[in-house]
Amino acid sequence: MEGLAGVALAIVLAGLGFWHLIVRRNLIWKLLGLNVAASGAILFLVALAHRPGARPPIVGLGPGPSVDPLPHALVLTAIVIDFATLALALVYVIFLTEHRHTQDVDRLERDEERGWPQP
Amino acid sequence: MKVLAALSLLSLMALLALGVSGVFPRPAVPPAEDVAAEWGAKNVVATIVLGVRLWDTLFEILVYAMTMVGVKLGLRLLRWEHAIPPVRETPLLRRSADLLLGPIVVFALYVAVSGHLGPGGGFPAGAILGTALLLLALAKGVERLSAEIHEPSLEWAEYGAIVAILAVAGGLLLVGRRGSGYLIAANVLIALEVGIGAWVVLHRFASSRGEV
Repeated sequence: MEGLAGVALAIVLAGLGFWHLIVRRNLIWKLLGLNVAASGAILFLVALAHRPGARPPIVGLGPGPSVDPLPHALVLTAIVIDFATLALALVYVIFLTEHRHTQDVDRLERDEERGWPQP
Repeated sequence: MKVLAALSLLSLMALLALGVSGVFPRPAVPPAEDVAAEWGAKNVVATIVLGVRLWDTLFEILVYAMTMVGVKLGLRLLRWEHAIPPVRETPLLRRSADLLLGPIVVFALYVAVSGHLGPGGGFPAGAILGTALLLLALAKGVERLSAEIHEPSLEWAEYGAIVAILAVAGGLLLVGRRGSGYLIAANVLIALEVGIGAWVVLHRFASSRGEV
């Protein structure tokens, strides 16, 4: 049942992260939501690889069937791409905060329509 | 807007739950031990990452390197008008860093070298190396640590690690000889690359902090 609980937790995490990504107006909160959703995706893949009574995918670690090693290899890519996305997006948020003095998406859009305030 | 978002998220979650609920048959896991034995390794995941899915891993490393370049160039364009106050040094953190730095680096090396035999590999080892650098930066202050590190040689090491990984992997693809030596070399080089990249991101973000 560990696999089922893991999958349920992963789905809840992804939903929570996407909810913050959509609803929040602050860009930092949006990025945090994206990161939580990525954690949910990682947990989803790891929980999918689970088989009842299976051992880790390392040869000679005990009897019984091995868990599926392919999702574990996919998780590596997911972690690295998540980190890269977060770092680059934070750089852009720093730029935006330095030039526009706000992280509020609604205010950014309003300023975009009215024309940017001149410093 | 919020109702729409909630509805779409709930339908997405239901779709995910339906996908894993057992309605669709799951394929049986093929025996992976033969692949690992062919590469002279015990960790099946390391064999898949560095052997069967080598192209994927190579482009993943390139994405990581491009991120480092993006962070470096992006934050270099910023000009802060305020002087950044230096971080105060605390003796407790300083002593713990002195005590812990050696074991952490040795553990990172162990994880990188034994990545094909057990849990581990290049990426976790690089993350552990980055943690050691983070500890050192917390204890000594980022500015003083970056003044001690020779920046151009660090860049050369980073790009050299990428080129070496590409050379090792390309040589493997050309020669077609499989063995554990290739796995060890690739893991150590990946650990070097990831550790240096973590330090670059940490240094850039910490040294371009400021008030808004």
